[in-house]
Amino acid sequence: MTTAVGTIAQPLRSGLGSAFGVILILLAWDLAARATAGSFVLAAPAEVLNWLVANRGLMGRALAETLANAAAGFVIGNLAAILLAVVALAWPRAERAVMNLALLIFCLPLVATGPILRVLLGPGDGPQIWLAALAVYYTTLVPLMVGLRAAPASWLDLVRIYGRGRWTEIVRVRARAALPYLFAGLQIAAPAAFLGAMVGEFTGAERGMGVLTVRFIRAMDVPAIWALACVAALVSILVFAAIGWLARFVLDEKPPVIIAPAQAVGALGVTARMLRTLTLAVLALALWWAVIQIAQLNPFFAKGPDDVARALLSAPDAAETRARLGTALVETAVYVVPGWAAGLGLGAAIAIVLILFPPIAAVAMPVAVALRAIPIVTTAPLIVLVLGRGAVGTISLVAVMVFFPSLVACLHGLRQAPGQIMDVFDSYAAGPVSRLIHVRIPAMLPAFFASARMSVPAAILAVTVVEWLATGRGIGSLMALSASLSEYDMLWSAIMATAVLAVLFHAGVSALERVVLARTAPEQVG
Amino acid sequence: MAPDPRAAEMKSVASPDIVCEGLCKSFADGTQALAPLDAVFDGGKTTAFVGPSGCGKSTLLRLIAGLETPSAGAVLIGGAPPASLQRQGAIAMAFQDPSLLPWRSLRGNIALALTLAGRPADRTAVDGLIDLVGLAGFGDARPSALSGGMRQRAAIARALVTEPSLLLLDEPFGAVDELTRRQLARDLPKLWEPRGTTTLLVTHSVDEAVLLSDRVLVLSPRPAQIAADIAVSLPRPRPAGIERSENFRALVMQVSDALAEGAVA
Ligand SMILES: Nc1ncnc2c1ncn2[C@@H]1O[C@H](COP(=O)(O)OP(=O)(O)OP(=O)(O)O)[C@@H](O)[C@H]1O
Ligand SMILES: [Mg+2]
Repeated sequence: MTTAVGTIAQPLRSGLGSAFGVILILLAWDLAARATAGSFVLAAPAEVLNWLVANRGLMGRALAETLANAAAGFVIGNLAAILLAVVALAWPRAERAVMNLALLIFCLPLVATGPILRVLLGPGDGPQIWLAALAVYYTTLVPLMVGLRAAPASWLDLVRIYGRGRWTEIVRVRARAALPYLFAGLQIAAPAAFLGAMVGEFTGAERGMGVLTVRFIRAMDVPAIWALACVAALVSILVFAAIGWLARFVLDEKPPVIIAPAQAVGALGVTARMLRTLTLAVLALALWWAVIQIAQLNPFFAKGPDDVARALLSAPDAAETRARLGTALVETAVYVVPGWAAGLGLGAAIAIVLILFPPIAAVAMPVAVALRAIPIVTTAPLIVLVLGRGAVGTISLVAVMVFFPSLVACLHGLRQAPGQIMDVFDSYAAGPVSRLIHVRIPAMLPAFFASARMSVPAAILAVTVVEWLATGRGIGSLMALSASLSEYDMLWSAIMATAVLAVLFHAGVSALERVVLARTAPEQVG
Repeated sequence: MAPDPRAAEMKSVASPDIVCEGLCKSFADGTQALAPLDAVFDGGKTTAFVGPSGCGKSTLLRLIAGLETPSAGAVLIGGAPPASLQRQGAIAMAFQDPSLLPWRSLRGNIALALTLAGRPADRTAVDGLIDLVGLAGFGDARPSALSGGMRQRAAIARALVTEPSLLLLDEPFGAVDELTRRQLARDLPKLWEPRGTTTLLVTHSVDEAVLLSDRVLVLSPRPAQIAADIAVSLPRPRPAGIERSENFRALVMQVSDALAEGAVA
């Protein structure tokens, strides 16, 4: 622990830093609005405030509705995450399958699951709540698993030496040891739940922030769009901060910054890995089929793996379906990949620049953590407003979506460099650049790759939402179109294709990660 | 009055003999930590192990505790495998690293052993042990607020609180200062000797081994084998100042020589 002075000065400094950041942002915003006045793109802070005051009743009701749905989804999703984590832990042989299926389900594009849930569940709050739950469970599951496994072996030996089993181990040691990680997950989950609820509302709800967003985009009501985005951002940051505060109140320690687990890959051969992938695929298909059978979902809306296979392979129009799907996927990938890469690279680059100026890094960290809480997709309309419906707008949105998690993870990794090693470099009077290259960047890489992996579904979500709401291209738009035309074969095929591609993308990043970390951080690759 | 079956069971393990039969341990990475080991450690006695770092002392203790499975051979404690003694809450171990749970107070950490062993929480016993290991007044402190040596003493108190019939001490005084170490070496045996606890002690201090044990086993470098087996016949309880007696010094010399020879062999 630091000294008393350190512990008092830290929150004060970060508080001042955040206030300073907010003022800077407001100033820049106002200047930009003045510069672009008349182009119907940017509303000045005062305009937004005026709009909010004038429409406070409307806004209040919508916010209450969305918050209620987000809260319900938050509870369901996090409970599911906890349950899955306990299953994976109590039954270690199932862990890999549980985690991989969880990832696969997390990769299902919300913009398509939304309309399907809408037709299955009807017009109420159901889809919003389920989408919110779907948006959060994985971001909680991942840090929770890290935390549950973080307990040192000797704590577990203590339980075993008194003849107690796995259950006591979980209750007495692992659960408590995982609490800080759970809180870290809940912090990220809060804005994600808000985002999920809003996407659910896009799909034809009656009330809520998502409904207003769709309405104001159609009307091109600029101050209203900005007001919605500001409220969504503000609420998310507040909830994020509130959970952080609660964590500090409950725990003695600060929640760790954990984005994803380090890769724990044994020396598995290619055959073993392929076999495992195959098993997973079979398991996923079986689960898909079983859910539809057991829940007795309406076969008109709910298509099984057999229906999708028929639509893509043996139906008379199969070739055309494949062609449309392929075109749309390429259109989407063309935006996802550069945006994702740009966001990651920019996050890492800025983190590296910031770390060379430690006082700035100390101030930037809390600001970046707070901005990470903004559900970026809710600002999608803004970015499209500012940058247009073309490639620049979409790619920028993805980049922004990926940027903040990448920045936070990289800053964290860079500051993680072990003190003793830094001391060794100091003793040789090594300059900051040499330290950066030899110590800090290798220390950053695990966090960088973890955030690269976790950003894949986020990037896809961002692009599909913009395509759906604004640009009318790509897989997001194809999904929206087939949902509204009741082409459910096409919709399910699109979902499956997107999820599979997302998982493959994720696997590709993991493979790259293994290669790089095997050189720079062998202990991470097991 | 019908005999209490639990009392009979407890009695059967009060001072268990430990039998190692062809005990072997190789780890998954191919490291062989223990060569086939055949040995009997008498019930109710204290046996000390000394040997070079990394020779397999902790591994041997962990095998006897039932925390590792042997690659070959077996451990029998009072005729039964370690697991059955574990289930009775009759084994306790002070680990080489204190392994206190950071979110529990010192008192909470010690009381946890009682809970895990299925005993009622006995606050007087816990506080008594805290006093005995010289941590009076720190009962409510978190481990992070204690020094390394204080944590180690807390771990010893935790091992003793369940009154185990088999007590395993893995370098229990490693981080404790010399003065406290002597004090503990004098006070702690008073706790387990009258109960007839079978005690195994790993230490790097030859003096400590001779002072505390009835028998010192000198282990060879990895994979560990018994290089020397030295009986310690000094009076119990040890009289004050015994460290200066001729007998004691002779034993210390004997063990040190064996250690030096074992390292060459
Ligand atoms: N889980 C493990 N996997 C692989 N090798 C191990 C494992 N545990 C111990 N070893 C190896 O077994 C050997 C013996 O280890 P052990 O901890 O028993 O030594 P020790 O005699 O207690 O040493 P020290 O006096 O330093 O505590 C060492 O070479 C160690 O590297
Ligand atoms: Mg050891």
